[in-house]
Amino acid sequence: MSSAGYTSPFGANSNPFGGANPGPMHRLVEEDENDTVTSPTTPSFSATGNVFGGSFGADSTSEGSFLGGLRSPPNPESYPAQYNFARRTSVSAESLKPVADTYDNWTPPSHAKTPEQLERLKNAISGNFLFSHLDDEQSAQILGALVEKPIPTKGIKVITQGDAGDFFYVVEKGSFDVYVNPSGALQPGPNGMGQNVGRIEAGGSFGELALMYNAPRAATVISAEPQCTLWALDRLTFRRILMESTFARRRMYESFLEEVPLLSTLTPYERSKIADALESQKFPAGHAIIREGEKGLSFFLLEAGEAVAYRSGNPTPVKHYKKGDFFGELALLNDAPRAASVVSATEVKVATLGKSAFQRLLGPVEGIMRRTKYVGVKSGVEEMDPLHVP
Amino acid sequence: MAATVAQSQHVLGAGGGLHPLQAQGLLASQHQSKPQQQQHQQPPQQHQNNGEGGNHFELESRKLSLSDFHRVRTLGTGTFARVVLVRPAYGTEAERSQVFALKILRKTEVIKLKQIDHVRHERQLLADVSGHPFITELMASFSDHDFLYLLLDYVPGGELFSYLRKFRRFDEDMARFYAAEIVLVLEYLHEQQGGIAYRDMKPENLLLDADGHIKLVDFGFAKRLGNNDNDHPVETYTLCGTPEYLAPEVIHNKGHTTAVDWWALGILIYEFLTGYPPFWHQNPIEIYKQIVEKPVVFPHDPPISDAAKDIIRQFCTVDRSRRLGNISGGAARVKAHPFFDGVDWDAIVHKRDRGPIVPPVRYPGDAQCFDIYPEEDATRDEYTGEMAQKYDDYFKDF
Repeated sequence: MSSAGYTSPFGANSNPFGGANPGPMHRLVEEDENDTVTSPTTPSFSATGNVFGGSFGADSTSEGSFLGGLRSPPNPESYPAQYNFARRTSVSAESLKPVADTYDNWTPPSHAKTPEQLERLKNAISGNFLFSHLDDEQSAQILGALVEKPIPTKGIKVITQGDAGDFFYVVEKGSFDVYVNPSGALQPGPNGMGQNVGRIEAGGSFGELALMYNAPRAATVISAEPQCTLWALDRLTFRRILMESTFARRRMYESFLEEVPLLSTLTPYERSKIADALESQKFPAGHAIIREGEKGLSFFLLEAGEAVAYRSGNPTPVKHYKKGDFFGELALLNDAPRAASVVSATEVKVATLGKSAFQRLLGPVEGIMRRTKYVGVKSGVEEMDPLHVP
Repeated sequence: MAATVAQSQHVLGAGGGLHPLQAQGLLASQHQSKPQQQQHQQPPQQHQNNGEGGNHFELESRKLSLSDFHRVRTLGTGTFARVVLVRPAYGTEAERSQVFALKILRKTEVIKLKQIDHVRHERQLLADVSGHPFITELMASFSDHDFLYLLLDYVPGGELFSYLRKFRRFDEDMARFYAAEIVLVLEYLHEQQGGIAYRDMKPENLLLDADGHIKLVDFGFAKRLGNNDNDHPVETYTLCGTPEYLAPEVIHNKGHTTAVDWWALGILIYEFLTGYPPFWHQNPIEIYKQIVEKPVVFPHDPPISDAAKDIIRQFCTVDRSRRLGNISGGAARVKAHPFFDGVDWDAIVHKRDRGPIVPPVRYPGDAQCFDIYPEEDATRDEYTGEMAQKYDDYFKDF
């Protein structure tokens, strides 16, 4: 793409130094040739060699070359050819507040789909970086929220270049042509859509930037045949689904953490940092989450499901865990072997944090415990280990 | 550009107390302690105004209106705001020789762009953090039928952005100087102000005062995170910032915290040293993809020291539980990083040395360091009586 023809998506005020409108590279070349750059506001700057005490020639009438003596002229080859050196525009989406804060009643919309449709939609979004990090619940909600948009005839503009963008689309059936007008917006007249730059077939998707914030559409997308079907997702729904689930989980972790005696002296700020760093893991029933005798590295909160603790030689569980319970927390304190095994009794979801992550975030647990005397009233399985009896 | 992207505005800050008349005059009574603070170069004072009365801006600012000022020229524009250099229109000669930066926000655009919350936060937080040596100072705020106004100190050196583009890149000593001042600002906002996330760090939002020190401007996206029930820190979810500088957790809507500012500082140091940010593309969605998927890669030319590479990588760490600044020790740990070896932090906070670039400011109201902008707004929608009835309550703090 030639830099001269490129219109910055970041827009206004693009060139603080050049007068008219040469592309970024053009300007660089110009600078190299003349070794002088002028700004409309600043007839001349001149810097002297001393880096920390350098001064500019302050007189607007003096001639000056700001590069003089500062360092050898930079090699233009080392600059990215297409980087736009203009001022960058800030972007912002609608302000989002979790339901818990606003006391709204909001549940994500859910539109029925056949298992085949769900599978196709899943495939269509699985490779997209905006969806690839979602957990199963979030994915299910997002897929449920996609709404069908039949496009009955050829030639329907689904999105129009330059318009506000609020929806992301997945193509279920049919195909769509993509046009870009170099002016940045659809123009009147027969060639107003600009150049055809591609085609999107079934399984493809477009308009993902609209899931982040409301930015002008970069292209016009128009149906290329009759009887097309799209699935649409709007930004607010997308962002709210992610926010509500993250927010609810974060608050749940914080409330679980409040119940851990070892961490009772954490401030709310520290607890929120830990909640932020917890990682969710799922295990099937019958999985040994920690094993007696192994070195303990992580601490676990039981987020969903049930688990039981066993000690070797004893087939009867020595402890039962349900949602909100925790185990293995003494691993945060030392590397001593686990005092018991904890096995999932059902499918479980745990939130886990390693000792190293804990220490990175808050420093050693010993220091935190020292704030008040830790009395091991209620603890996890380690309390049964003679080595760890407080 | 459609009215869908909230463009950055420039909030302009103090001229470093250089103007002999600045300590006197029109507004002196409204911020008595400030000129003194500037002269003695006190380290940041912790003071919180929570908008519960007692805020001197609110008490006095009722008296001000646009007609109290003579408009000199525009210093920056955005989608819903414009910053103009102004002088008091009345008063003694000494008073009239003062200069200020007046940020003018158009109510209709603020509402249309759904920026009401951000504008309210901006006014409140500027009042809260006023007086820090590296942050623009709010003198007063007021409003009329169509506009909101923030009266700020004038920072005459222009944007660090302009100098960076002019020099193409900074050497490590220069980058270190600016980075050090920014570390102190972030330490203040995050750790001494109870968790204020700034959320729009970039060279465009850093002005230089007459001595070449940083002033952080534009608090349009700043937010106090500890303000829910019982000062409980709560992550925030509204996507905002500048594409090249957005942290991965903002892109993924995972809820974000003050850690986004440390990510952005890594991007900023990279841009200081190379002249461009590590993740860039003409298509913003490609920038975001790179931010969440790609490591920071350094060019061969210019050569970048290992310490600089390391601090950039440590800031630009996707996993927040490993990100420098967010991990235990906070800003203190940042200051102890080898990149800052030899930095006299006490000298930095007291501005004992002039900055590496001393802006060519010829007199206190000199605006030659700022670019020229059109003085007229495009035609805008009317702020109707109906809108006023619906929305003016949100703007009552101005």
